Amino acid sequence: MVYDSDHGPRRVVITGLGAVTSIGLGVTAFLDGLRSGRSGVKPITAFDTTGFAHANGCEVTDFDPAEWIHRVDPAELGRASQFSVAAARMAVEDAGMDLEEFRRRPALVSVGTTDAESRDLDTLVGVQLEDGPEKLPPVMARRAQAGRLSSGIVRELGLTDVEALTIPTACAAGNYAIGSGYDAIREGDVDVALCGGADAVCRKTFTGFYRLGTIAPEVCQPFDKDRKGILTGEGAGILLMESLESAQARGARIYAEVLGYGLNCDAHHPVAPDQDSLARCMEVAHRNAGVKPEDIDFISAHGTGTRANDVTEAGAIRQVFDAPPPTISIKSMIGHSMGAASALASAACALALTEGFIPPTINHRETDPECGLDCVPNEARATELNVVQNNALAFAGNNAVLILGRYREAE
Amino acid sequence: MSELVLSAWSVVSPYGVGSDPFSEGIGAGRSAVDALDREAWPGPFDRCGLVPDFTAAKYVGKKGTRTMDRVTAIAVTAVGRLLASCGDELTARPEQVGLVLGTGSGSVQSIMDFTRDSLAGERPYHVDPACFPNTVMNRAAGQSAIWHGIKGPNTTVAGGWLTGLLALSYAVRLHRGGHCARVLCGAAEEYSTQRAWLEWHGRGADEQSTPLGEGGAVFLMETAADAHAAGRAPLARILATRFGAYAERADAQQALADCVRSAVRRAGVAPEDIRLVAPLGADGKLGALEESGITDALGAAKPEWIRCRPLLGDTSAASTSLQLAAVLATAGESGLGPGEAALVTGIDRDGTVGCAVLGGADPS
Amino acid sequence: MTTAKQVDADSRATIKGIICNILEIDPDEMTDTSRFKEDHAADSMGAIEILSQLERAFGIDIDQAELARMVNLEGVATVVGEAMTAKASQ
Repeated sequence: MVYDSDHGPRRVVITGLGAVTSIGLGVTAFLDGLRSGRSGVKPITAFDTTGFAHANGCEVTDFDPAEWIHRVDPAELGRASQFSVAAARMAVEDAGMDLEEFRRRPALVSVGTTDAESRDLDTLVGVQLEDGPEKLPPVMARRAQAGRLSSGIVRELGLTDVEALTIPTACAAGNYAIGSGYDAIREGDVDVALCGGADAVCRKTFTGFYRLGTIAPEVCQPFDKDRKGILTGEGAGILLMESLESAQARGARIYAEVLGYGLNCDAHHPVAPDQDSLARCMEVAHRNAGVKPEDIDFISAHGTGTRANDVTEAGAIRQVFDAPPPTISIKSMIGHSMGAASALASAACALALTEGFIPPTINHRETDPECGLDCVPNEARATELNVVQNNALAFAGNNAVLILGRYREAE
Repeated sequence: MSELVLSAWSVVSPYGVGSDPFSEGIGAGRSAVDALDREAWPGPFDRCGLVPDFTAAKYVGKKGTRTMDRVTAIAVTAVGRLLASCGDELTARPEQVGLVLGTGSGSVQSIMDFTRDSLAGERPYHVDPACFPNTVMNRAAGQSAIWHGIKGPNTTVAGGWLTGLLALSYAVRLHRGGHCARVLCGAAEEYSTQRAWLEWHGRGADEQSTPLGEGGAVFLMETAADAHAAGRAPLARILATRFGAYAERADAQQALADCVRSAVRRAGVAPEDIRLVAPLGADGKLGALEESGITDALGAAKPEWIRCRPLLGDTSAASTSLQLAAVLATAGESGLGPGEAALVTGIDRDGTVGCAVLGGADPS
Repeated sequence: MTTAKQVDADSRATIKGIICNILEIDPDEMTDTSRFKEDHAADSMGAIEILSQLERAFGIDIDQAELARMVNLEGVATVVGEAMTAKASQ
């Protein structure tokens, strides 16, 4: 990598979106779901839920990998990698970029995740208990690794001039991955980037959250007085990003501009978020993006629907914003898709900027006065937007805040 | 803009904890792969490059480590030793220090133990909640930050054998993007029975018998100006990182050769300036393709080759970080000399290649 | 309605051992009424861990709402006693 000091940092835009979600496959279905406030909740089928008092989740139920994955044998990819690869295919098609042209360009592939192929690891534990560790199926043992979420995209698209990494920074990983693509394009290292996140529902993570008492029995109600926790979800969101010059040269539709992002670490507690530190992360992001709090038209919150997250996040927002803008959580619709969560939320923000609406927070009855935010309850709100903020928090206090702006042609 | 340099490093390896045993072992070319205690470590392998007598309680402390898993303890130890060697000034502004740590898939042992408790227990939720964070793949990086109070960006990176190189590249961008003033960057991997079974079943026939290894290496990346200001002599300048991919195994040699040529060109060094080469050196065909690719790219240059794999075993996600540490160990206490360069390479089984070119410290 | 039985001395010792192990304190430091959070620096994870390990050790079910009462050894012993009674009456 060589910093191109002659030209200065490049502007970075989003021109393609791929979405695998419990409320729809592909950008059109996802947009429709966001606009209409669709719910992806249903009983979990990924594993035997016998013995749990309740086990709702937000699974992707209509996904056929063969529909999206053509060059790689889908059996060589675990479910999270299949989601990741399918969403990447969708993003490239949505961007209208010819694959041959894509292959000629230096590229970054960066995919965030919480669990990677832990669903396969669950299955392998089951095999061990039944038949012993000598009997593990080789193809599954081989594919059950985090690197495949990004290398799978490389193989499927036949890329050669590419840097591919997986970013397993848990539930904030999508924003981390998008940030890495933003920096790589901005600094002139690559021309194009496929970035986002992917995860698949698994027993391990459901059980962990259940044990912590943070799984909602029925639905996810961020910022509601009676919220009862998260619902585990799954899917993938992949964004095709390129430099503004590249997008303009090929006459691409531009969803949004990536204005900047901020990362920090509470360095405090493994699972409990820290309000001051999260507030600091938002300030870092604003500074990096060159915006002020009053510029932000709405916040896509981490908004998991747990008591601790929502009240801490709302507190941090009020700390940074004199008058907090509308603050919503799409987890009310698609559950907590873990590593995919902030990637899908970023895609939702890009769509919101383009289409001029704020997605709703569904399942909402009465706002918790301790949160005290306008969460755009139940119905999407049409409005012109210029700058939006996407929050993400992860275990270990890994925060990531992304700022997107509407791109306007020069007058 | 001041150049980015590596100015300090620490390592936990099968030679023991610390850079001294590592430097001595690599220098002597002595293998650290030894017989496994089969009672403590059941599984398909009977030899391993294990960090000797390593436990969290011994190296991190008894307090707060009851549920700390091995890879986390390796990372916390490596980061702690690096910080200790640099003094308090380094973390005086903790929000300006980033941590980028590579991992394979976190601790597959922790993940699979958790699921086993759910499947085999009286109730499916009879799991230890304190172990749940161990099953999330950012645990080692996050716990290292919590343990040592590092409040800047905290990122976990995964990419098979190339993980260490990818972490280095990510860290360079993080710094150039203005997200922190200094970055601690490296990778860690643990030996565990579950990792051993996954490797055993997942590997190709030509590499199945390669012993596994474990360990971690962490580097301090900062500008040359900041290093000098802190009284640290830069050990190596980071001149270029470069990555690529191949579709068919037969194309791996060409892909790596192209990758190395491009990196050397971007680094602005001549092939004959490359004094040290540390390849990944997988067993079987990939390792041979890697050596040929490097030779194709460097032409008549006659570098010294540092081969870690036979000495440490297959350290998976920690491989390329340990190769980088081996370069610094071989370069010695004053680092790469003026005009000298070094090359670290890797070819991954999943079709990716990568390399980094380091340069001797600027004599000015 | 059944009367909650008191846990016996052995069970009480088991409970105390579990809690002291989780909180990483010497058993001598803990009294029947010393508070986990205020006196022994327990956090929310520690509380859920105590609940979880007691469930497994005694084969009982403890509702998470009971965490409000499980603030010291006395409180935990009472909750465990009730849960054991509930189990025996099933």
